[in-house]
Amino acid sequence: MTSSIEGVSRKLIVDSLHGDVHLDEREWRILDTVSFQRLRRIKQLQMGQVTYPNATHTRFAHCLGTLAIMARILRVLKEDGGISLNEKKRENLRMAALLHDIGHYPYSHLMEGIDHVDLTEEIVGGVGSKSFDATRSRYPDHEEVGKAIVTGQRDILDAIGSPDRAREVADLFTRSEAADLQLSKLLHSSLDMDRLDYLQRDSRATGVPYGDIDMNYLLNSLRISGTSMVGVVEKALPAAEQFLLARFFMHKAVYFHKTTYGIEEACRQLLRRMRDAGSFGMPKDGDEVLSLVRSAELSSFTDDYVDRLVRRASKDGNEVMQALASCIERRRPPKLLYEVQVFENAEHQTINRGKVFFSRAKRSLKALAEKYGIPLGQFLLCCTKPLKLEKRGASLTVEQARGLESEEEDELIKVFIGDEPEPKSLVEIEHSLIHVCAAHLWQAFRLYVVYEGKNKEDVVKRLRKEVGEWAECV
Amino acid sequence: MERQQIGLKLVMDQLGLPVQVDTFEDRLILQKAVYLAQAAGVNLGYYFRWYLHGPYCSSVSDDGFCVAIELGQGTEDSAGWSLDAASAEKASGILDLVDCNDRSALAKKLELFASIHFLLDRKQVSGQSPDKITAVLRKFGKDFNADDVRGALGELRDHDIIH
Repeated sequence: MTSSIEGVSRKLIVDSLHGDVHLDEREWRILDTVSFQRLRRIKQLQMGQVTYPNATHTRFAHCLGTLAIMARILRVLKEDGGISLNEKKRENLRMAALLHDIGHYPYSHLMEGIDHVDLTEEIVGGVGSKSFDATRSRYPDHEEVGKAIVTGQRDILDAIGSPDRAREVADLFTRSEAADLQLSKLLHSSLDMDRLDYLQRDSRATGVPYGDIDMNYLLNSLRISGTSMVGVVEKALPAAEQFLLARFFMHKAVYFHKTTYGIEEACRQLLRRMRDAGSFGMPKDGDEVLSLVRSAELSSFTDDYVDRLVRRASKDGNEVMQALASCIERRRPPKLLYEVQVFENAEHQTINRGKVFFSRAKRSLKALAEKYGIPLGQFLLCCTKPLKLEKRGASLTVEQARGLESEEEDELIKVFIGDEPEPKSLVEIEHSLIHVCAAHLWQAFRLYVVYEGKNKEDVVKRLRKEVGEWAECV
Repeated sequence: MERQQIGLKLVMDQLGLPVQVDTFEDRLILQKAVYLAQAAGVNLGYYFRWYLHGPYCSSVSDDGFCVAIELGQGTEDSAGWSLDAASAEKASGILDLVDCNDRSALAKKLELFASIHFLLDRKQVSGQSPDKITAVLRKFGKDFNADDVRGALGELRDHDIIH
């Protein structure tokens, strides 16, 4: 569909979340490339659909949504008079928003993070050497992969127009841009368009209402200071607080949901094993990932790429690989044997119940596995990332937060109090909920088992009882 | 402790630096030391972005806080672990870059080294012109002059971190 706004002919796509999304000719060309269309085959919520059947929305839709929000932010800040950008910079910011996730791996963060996966045998100890190998290049994060695609794939380069322009855009979403502080701050402010889009999109797709936010009010309340700090006006404080709460609850209810997390952990461990085995076609290191995404193979680097690996492991893998692959393929999520959730004040630095459970599990798991004749690798001992209300919040005391320097502050949501020329971080505002809860973090420590053998119900029941006993007696 | 955090602790040990996060200076030293170790060829897998004080990676902050907390609790479990020999040698190769008893001076020095490397590596400055690099740093409120930059460029070349 073609429409016209501000006298410029533009293409129009209707998005279920933002309504009309207008694209200029160049953005339309980018959208139409094979490299960008790949994002239609990468689900936004990884394996979230095993729990929430409608969570099949893609990175493609999210990227369009991010562009829609960027357009609104640029409009609000222009009307506010706090920012003056020439046409080229506006175009670059819009392209950076559209392309910010073009480097996502199959199943998004799932495959990206396998270098950070510790296998159960390694956690329990006694397997492999205790030498940390820092000679192998790690899988690059998706933004670095995105840069390789934007500056290395012919179709994207042609759509953008020139290699220099492509590099400028990639520099923005990888935050390598050292030439323009204002642009950088705008793109990476804590009220970033990425989160504004995905929280609402994920919330609608899953049917979990906690991700809903007052986006219109937040966007209309944006201001920019003389030093290019982006914040919201004081009246929008509740909306800003609710935005952070929405993120917090979406993590607990959706992103770290026990069933989804269990099957994703099985997949992470499987991919790590396949990568280490070296015989399944997984890129062996970061250099191979970069070669792949710069090649014609990019278009097949989608969720289906991992699905094919899983199918192969279910036939050709060893016993543990086959068990993990089968649980993914047949949707037989790992059974949660025990979970400890902690919500604690990080300032107290106590050894919490979760850490005690983890430590006990490390000592006892091997014997348990032998007793039941289940390979150790079919037990998944894992913990979620510590979840904080504010990105930096729980890493810091309030006093430390007050002493933050700018790069750390960049990650905090800011509010203009009264007529103050510069905004304050939410953590510093004493009457805000975030001030009170900023030092708290939530984390779940979990032990799953992948078991499809004889007497499954009975075995799982007995395992739960045993793990529960030694977990409770610590 | 996760393996990644063990890796970070081992590199800081190799550089003879404590994992401290109490002050901004501490956190800046941690950031820039890890950055320079990676620039010297130690693959820890952190990706850095450009901020007001040069290259910065939020995952280094997160992992640094975790390690510092575990050290404080006495639960840190990197004992028995070691960095592979080739990486240990690369880290040792930049020991004199991080050798300074004055923490403030060290923070400033590391900020300059890391910033220059990032600007060149990410092609934010063409060539290795001290004047151009100084101009970019000035834009970010830094008081480094062209002589500081020239000296740092020389040291980075001597350590094979830039060519």
